[in-house]
Amino acid sequence: METKNKLQATDWVNNYSDALYKYTVVRVSDTGIAEDIVQETFLSAWRNKDNFKGEASEKNWLYTICKNKIIDYYRKKGSSIISYANEDASDNFFDDAEHWTKNDSPKEWGINYQQQVEKKEFYTILEKCKGKLQQMQQSVFVMKYLEDLETEEICKVLGITSSNYWVLIHRAKLGLRTCLEKNWVNI
Amino acid sequence: MKKLFNITCKHTTYLISKKEDRKIRLIDRLKLQMHLGICSACKLFENQSWFIKLNAKQSHEHITASLSSEAKEKIEIALKNAQ
Repeated sequence: METKNKLQATDWVNNYSDALYKYTVVRVSDTGIAEDIVQETFLSAWRNKDNFKGEASEKNWLYTICKNKIIDYYRKKGSSIISYANEDASDNFFDDAEHWTKNDSPKEWGINYQQQVEKKEFYTILEKCKGKLQQMQQSVFVMKYLEDLETEEICKVLGITSSNYWVLIHRAKLGLRTCLEKNWVNI
Repeated sequence: MKKLFNITCKHTTYLISKKEDRKIRLIDRLKLQMHLGICSACKLFENQSWFIKLNAKQSHEHITASLSSEAKEKIEIALKNAQ
């Protein structure tokens, strides 16, 4: 029995650890934290493996556990950040009349905006740009666009109001867009 | 009338996120449409926001990252000890 368990542990790690790690690291933007979350995911799954009913695939089951661990991480992170509303300079994108400044006005990227990008270079730059966002902006962006959570759920997890949320997601998008334009798009 | 529908670029880009979430009032939707019809910079912002949203979700499938063999070994040991 012990050999069988040992085999299963090795199989799990070999089959799923890299995929879970990639899934996690783009969501938490920190390799050490991502490693910890992957380990906790395996441990939780391992402790509960007798309850696994096989209704979902083993892989999906692990992803669900991992996703919950990531949300827990954001919950803890949200409660540890006290001030966030006015920490950045996003207002610099606009002039006194709240219209785009000449420098920050969006430029044409010359691509099809409806199309998915396959080039790895884009994702490497997207990660870097995401990493440059202020922490709470990053949190709302990941939960909204990577985790696909409802706005109400995100506010609950992070302990913020919906107006805080709209300001944060707005600033996150302004920051990301500008960073991509500067670093990825060759105009 | 003009004043009623006049909104700034900053407010327009804010409303674009609200529209995505279908959390926008009718009056704001009209203001947004009017502004996007005449402001090419905000229209680009809307297209590029959509592009970011479309592609961010797939990030993990395209990045090159893997756990180190030490980290994998650490997990295996933790699992073994948890039995």
